[in-house]
Amino acid sequence: MGSYLAKRLLLIVPTLFGAAAMVFVIMRVIPGDVALLILGGDQAGQIDKAQLAAMHRQLGLDQPLLAQFGTWLWGVLRFDFGTSLWTGRPVIEELIRRLPVSLELAILATIVSVLLAIPFGVLAAARQDTWVDYLIRVISIGGLAIPSFWVGIVIILLLVIYFGWGPPLEYTPPWVDPWANFQQMVFPVVTVGYRYAAVTTRMTRSTLLEVMRDDYIRTAWAKGLGERAVVIRHALKNAMLPVITLIGTEFAFLIGGLVVTETVFTLNGVGRFVVDAVAHRDYPVVQALVFLIALSFVVVNLLIDLTYAWFDPRIRYR
Amino acid sequence: MATEWKIASDGLTYTFKIRQGIRFHDGSALTAADIKATYDKIIFPPQGVRSVRKNAYTAVERVDAPDPSTVMFKLKFPSASLLDNLASPWNVIYPKKYLDKDPNYFKTNVVGSGPFRFKNYSRGSTFEGERNPDYFVKDRPYLDGYKFFISPETSVRAAAIRSGRAYIEFRNLPSAEVEAIRKQLGDKIVVQETPMTGEWGIAVNNVAKPFNDVRVRKALTLGIDRYSMSKVLYPLTGLKFVGGLMRPGSDWAMPQAELEKLPRFGKDMEKNRAEARRLLAEAGYPNGLKVVLKNRNVKLPYQDFAVFLIQEWRKIGVEVEHRPLETAAWFSDGQDTGNFELIVAPAVEFMDEPDQFLGRYATGSTQNWGRFSDPRIDDLFSRQARTLDPIERKRLIGEMEKVVLDNAYFMPGLWWSRNLVHWAKVKNYVAPPNHYTNQKLQDVWLSED
Repeated sequence: MGSYLAKRLLLIVPTLFGAAAMVFVIMRVIPGDVALLILGGDQAGQIDKAQLAAMHRQLGLDQPLLAQFGTWLWGVLRFDFGTSLWTGRPVIEELIRRLPVSLELAILATIVSVLLAIPFGVLAAARQDTWVDYLIRVISIGGLAIPSFWVGIVIILLLVIYFGWGPPLEYTPPWVDPWANFQQMVFPVVTVGYRYAAVTTRMTRSTLLEVMRDDYIRTAWAKGLGERAVVIRHALKNAMLPVITLIGTEFAFLIGGLVVTETVFTLNGVGRFVVDAVAHRDYPVVQALVFLIALSFVVVNLLIDLTYAWFDPRIRYR
Repeated sequence: MATEWKIASDGLTYTFKIRQGIRFHDGSALTAADIKATYDKIIFPPQGVRSVRKNAYTAVERVDAPDPSTVMFKLKFPSASLLDNLASPWNVIYPKKYLDKDPNYFKTNVVGSGPFRFKNYSRGSTFEGERNPDYFVKDRPYLDGYKFFISPETSVRAAAIRSGRAYIEFRNLPSAEVEAIRKQLGDKIVVQETPMTGEWGIAVNNVAKPFNDVRVRKALTLGIDRYSMSKVLYPLTGLKFVGGLMRPGSDWAMPQAELEKLPRFGKDMEKNRAEARRLLAEAGYPNGLKVVLKNRNVKLPYQDFAVFLIQEWRKIGVEVEHRPLETAAWFSDGQDTGNFELIVAPAVEFMDEPDQFLGRYATGSTQNWGRFSDPRIDDLFSRQARTLDPIERKRLIGEMEKVVLDNAYFMPGLWWSRNLVHWAKVKNYVAPPNHYTNQKLQDVWLSED
């Protein structure tokens, strides 16, 4: 186990390096110039070449690409992600403000999703082809088919039209004011959680159905075990591997992928930050964020792999 | 800040008396030296400082501050626009002591002397100001502070107003949203509709084939029915007024009757389209042509504007491929490299000032996306800039407009209008014709409900 863990931790290094190198190159290949945006702003007026060159120098963009990449990597090793080209403030400072928003949303949505998806997935599988199964399947297909941001917009419109009420425009951390935090987070959590739960329900149902056809389940039935014992104790535990894999990758996705939902609910999270930074060609910010998102995927995957052993004791890591 | 000003009879010296007792938000006194330091930075930026507005002050030879309450602008030649340009909402006066230490201080620091002090900014999210107790206007401002919320989404902005989470929206909301808000909130809401000092048009790449042929350019602009466009796009986007290069309704605009005499502003569209097809055939495109229209990927009003244009051009046999670009790429292709055939290019300024609006048609201007060069335009532009008599200036401007429009160097689309929506409890706010000016909120107050 120890050596396995060490191996996995070591593998994180090349993975993150690859992600960092890729985003570094892509950001510089696409057209657009941060110096020009800083100089011209929205109305990009009269800018002369000397000014532009001076701005490039100031931002370090006149250095060779490899040198720029090297400087950045060296910074990352010391937990220094550089300063935003746009605001001139340390990237880490802006990140620390946004990460809690995205983390809270991801964690709450995961909880909602797990609490709904596993019972309903099991129920649908255990009552396959009855009205219960059909109802659950229809609702979950809806969750897959309808984009979450649209659900979000509809929820906000309904609240505004029928209650003249809308969620607060600004994030309040739960430790400052739990009630204000609840008011702001409950609808995005429902919105995101619905889609998340839909995906997970379907996965739970289908893997459970597969396991239920295995020989050892037939044996369990033949022994005269009750339904609860067969489904929950014998089948579900074995069906959980793909489900937790899915939950893990979804969770990691939620950290940086909720651009539109964050916009709809005016949540100042990581997803919007990525898009804002790309639009401004704010290289250090984009690099730091992609690095962070890659890191969360890697860590979550590692955690999932480790939980496999608990669900299936035959899996032993060496 | 100026209590009075004098313009010398030769028009070459402007002398301003500066109000005494103004304090910056850091407590230090604002004097003529700070104003000189700020304008020196804008007009004659030192090494390492970039000024995007210095071209608005080419007439200025130097700025003097002979004593703490006097600022003098010495000019090389008379300028018709100087006084207006000195009212720019973007020329924030900074303390000299900070600019001396770091000429780029203004980029990452906020120190003003206005009614509200800077409190907090959270990128892409909020911006906060708090009441300045030392503000030089007595008993102002009324408000204890304000908080701006930033959102690019129309539905989010509208919902924030509807739910009362925000009291005022300074940027335009489309009429359809405004109607819904009005229907729900009735007289709890006030809608101020104003014209906007901004025009949406299309830049044509004048150095690329086939657009270097004036017949092709003319055909394209003839093919746009601007009157129907206004009817269709106004409820969706607020694009409303048919006009030339200066805002219709402003002092400088070409009179409507005169405008309608120009072929592309005539109301007989059948005739216009027949003429457009004839011109295209003459230019060697009897079966029409295919063009790429680049655009900014912003919904309002860019995308709707382009969709209408595409429909219109199809009627004269021009097939358009619409290519929306993200803002940085749009600037890069349109302004810097000229990598486009046609591109949606708005002209938005803070006031109806000909120097601001017309500079973009002069040779070599970075705002001249179409990259055309016509000595008649350059001559008329520099003459109007130096003409202090408004009647003569207007005549020169009219002539210049005709050269631009006759040669279809640039295709005007529509001038924007704004809907400024606020709760009725927000009192004493008069909507200006753009979202750049009247943002001080000095006189605004809130009633109890």
